[in-house]
Amino acid sequence: MEGNRLVKLLLKDKLGLIGVALMIFFIALAVFAPLIITHDPQTQNYSSDGKLLNMAPPSSEHILGTTKMGRDVFSQVVAGTRVALVVGFTCALMVTVIGTVIALLAGYFGGWVDDFLMRATDIIYGIPFLPFVMIMVAVLGPSIWNIIIAIVLIMWRTTTRVIRSEVLSIKQRTFIQAAKLNGASSLRIVFRHVAPNVIPLALVFGSLAMGQAIVTEASISFLGYGDPMLISWGKILYDAYIAHAITEAWWWVIPPGLAITLLVMSGFFVSRSLEEILNPRLRR
Amino acid sequence: MSGLPWFIGKRILQAIVTLFILITLLFFMFRILPGDPTTMFVDAALPVEAREAVLAQFGLDKPLHEQYWLYMKNFIQGDFGMSFTSREPVMDVIGHYILPTVFLMGSTILLAVIVAIVLGALTAWYRGTKFEAIVVSIALFFRSAPIFWIGMVALALLSHRLNLFPIGGMYDPGKDTSSFFGTYFNLEFIHHLLLPSIVGAAYYVANPMLVMRSSMIEIMEDDFIELSRAKGLKERHVIFRHAVRNSLLPVVTEIALLVGFAIGGQVLLEVVFNWPGIGRLIVDSIQRNDYPVAQATFFLMGVIVIFLNLVSDILYGYLDPRVSYK
Amino acid sequence: MTNSLLEIKNLRTCYKSLDGLVWAVDDVSFTIEPGETLGLVGESGCGKTTIIKSIMRLLPRGAFSSGEISLKGTNLLDLSIPEMRKVRWDKISIISQSAMNALDPVYKVGDQIGEAIRTHTTATKTDAWKRAEELFALVGIDKARLNEYPHQFSGGMRQRAIIAMALALNPDVIVADEPTTALDVVVQAQILKRIRDLQKKMNSSMIMVTHDISVVAETCQKVVVMYAGKVVESGSVKDVFENPYHPYTMGLKNAFPNIKGDKFDLISIPGYPPDLADPPKGCRFADRCPFASDICFVEQPASEEVKVGHMVACHHIDSIDEIREQAKKHDTWAKLDKELA
Repeated sequence: MEGNRLVKLLLKDKLGLIGVALMIFFIALAVFAPLIITHDPQTQNYSSDGKLLNMAPPSSEHILGTTKMGRDVFSQVVAGTRVALVVGFTCALMVTVIGTVIALLAGYFGGWVDDFLMRATDIIYGIPFLPFVMIMVAVLGPSIWNIIIAIVLIMWRTTTRVIRSEVLSIKQRTFIQAAKLNGASSLRIVFRHVAPNVIPLALVFGSLAMGQAIVTEASISFLGYGDPMLISWGKILYDAYIAHAITEAWWWVIPPGLAITLLVMSGFFVSRSLEEILNPRLRR
Repeated sequence: MSGLPWFIGKRILQAIVTLFILITLLFFMFRILPGDPTTMFVDAALPVEAREAVLAQFGLDKPLHEQYWLYMKNFIQGDFGMSFTSREPVMDVIGHYILPTVFLMGSTILLAVIVAIVLGALTAWYRGTKFEAIVVSIALFFRSAPIFWIGMVALALLSHRLNLFPIGGMYDPGKDTSSFFGTYFNLEFIHHLLLPSIVGAAYYVANPMLVMRSSMIEIMEDDFIELSRAKGLKERHVIFRHAVRNSLLPVVTEIALLVGFAIGGQVLLEVVFNWPGIGRLIVDSIQRNDYPVAQATFFLMGVIVIFLNLVSDILYGYLDPRVSYK
Repeated sequence: MTNSLLEIKNLRTCYKSLDGLVWAVDDVSFTIEPGETLGLVGESGCGKTTIIKSIMRLLPRGAFSSGEISLKGTNLLDLSIPEMRKVRWDKISIISQSAMNALDPVYKVGDQIGEAIRTHTTATKTDAWKRAEELFALVGIDKARLNEYPHQFSGGMRQRAIIAMALALNPDVIVADEPTTALDVVVQAQILKRIRDLQKKMNSSMIMVTHDISVVAETCQKVVVMYAGKVVESGSVKDVFENPYHPYTMGLKNAFPNIKGDKFDLISIPGYPPDLADPPKGCRFADRCPFASDICFVEQPASEEVKVGHMVACHHIDSIDEIREQAKKHDTWAKLDKELA
């Protein structure tokens, strides 16, 4: 599918458009964060008469109010966008590449290569995702990179399974047989002929992976294992939970959760659009 | 060799192999990583003899392959050492927390699956209507939101504000939890079970629902569906005996994926709702550096996932004769 | 008045599509006598499948039919849906086109045949199974295979199983919907022969829906030639094949090879059928017809009887000898191909 047609079809789908728009919005937020934030996210703020602004409701000074320690919620949420996007995109990229390569090798070469790789995938399926990341982080230390690696180590499994099925059906197509007859080497066939055809499907799973990675990192931070040096949306919710803010400070609880929801939703919308484009039967 | 019994046998074998590999993985995970592996088992606060006893039991002073053998043996026998915090055998500690998790996870997944199948069939049937758009959007919203956040907001609104549900926990304070029936088979338990189950189900419903929907859409176009009508069958027989029955197959696979994923969600649900299950246990034990308990709980979770995957594999083989009868 | 088994009178069927109303079947009439095989022939999209769906009342949501479809005197279009369900399979059954997908993959073949039987009779499971065994004997499949699932059958075997299922209730009419399209030539001949033998045995009537005119020549006594939703020519196979009147019929004959006859170049009919959401005012075949004149583009030809039982809808019936002569020549059609290009 050429890029042009892809763009045209994507445009016709309203939900897909919303998804792309949301993503662009968050990227802009992350890139321009230093310009957008109103206060330093770590600074504790005091009222004019010297009192700590403990869970102060939204005001003109603090658009989304303050935390228990007087920190500006709005600035924290904006700052958290960077972490979310870095985690999301990095994991999505790594998961897609690893998952696709393994799927290509397993699907195309078949035989013991396939058996071995798919057994490995089955085993990874037996490992509970979040607990694994928790244990890795507990043992290795709560740095953001440890979190990313732990996530990627498990998350490639879904991509691999689905792309492998796709590779199996592409393998039968005549243009592949033709390339073989022309004497092309296996590796060349796999990467020059088969791979481009699975890229659309890989993109579908990439956008899903982004969302899942972001939620996983948020969950880890919520449980208290987040990177202490960074502000992430999950960590904001962790602070809020510890401070029992649920009942008292909705402005502290709602925005970070909503931000996660919207960013992940945008990933879903985009991937659904891509999927409908790829599978015409799902279209109206 | 074909037929359902062979299929089941093969799958059980695979599951056992996966279990062994999981244990192996755990074994290496704690040894390859930086730090002194003995701290995983031996509490530095213990007196010397006790420490040496544990070292001996897990063979931490012996060569690697002997350690591995001892480790495997211990795990299979369910002997995970002693908890650092409570000084009890780990299995005893964990024992109390298993049932609550089983109940919560079970009710959550059951609710999610039933709602997913019904909504999936309905959105496929009423395709292109506002109903479909609204249902799908709501499901996606809940799927995108972090489960712990939905829980927090639900607690704030429905429990604190509106007093519809208790504020977490599995039972009210002061309850006598000594008897099994007393604890689980009463309305109070169900009342406590409801909100976390609903929150969890709302979170999980989207994927199986969408799979059911697209599966129905494809199946409804198949020739045998029209032929069923041509045979003079009543419409509800066409829908349920033929369309839904065939559409369920990909949903079963999806449920298997869901389960592996739900363990993580379970951890978060238990933390937010203060539910005394193994999810909350693993969080607490890591926090307290009670490594034997953490390790064993993780292993137990792996066992649950592998077991549930096995069940869904077998169910799939039963539902789709193309897989088991070659 | 008539003793015909099935009588279609002025049938019109309309679909609702994104482009508006589509009259897929426009004023079609024909009859079938007991024991007779009628060929319903035409290109894809000419309306033959829609006629079948109209007879069985299996049209999609939003589609509707008008006219008369009388089976032994009862107008099927007047029946309620529950009443129609009783007619389905019991009086009219279908041998469908793609045996590939016609059977439910998750039930045993025996159970599926049994399902058809038990929907219409009071037979028990055992009775139905026994009947299925008889049917399998008729089509030459080992009865043990009733216990198997569709994917375990070969293609040809699946087709025979479908035929067995169609015969289960000894229907008055069997519709064979392109029964040989998906099969290779050798198996095609076998299946056709089997269908013919069984039909004779059961004394059912048959509607053979196909785009392959040679199949009609081999198996049918009557033929109805359709184009763009209308009947262009109909009559006994002998009359229509030996003395075709409509240029489209002649074009069809040219397009299909005949192993036995003289060698001749295959001539295909150039162009494409019209869009039925916006059909042409005059004769629908006009823009692809080498013999069209002005009147053809303006006025729809009425159906005329050129011989007893032989109907044709064409403005140029009188010049038939000249037309027949020209139609055999390659140039006649090739000229049009250039014009249309």
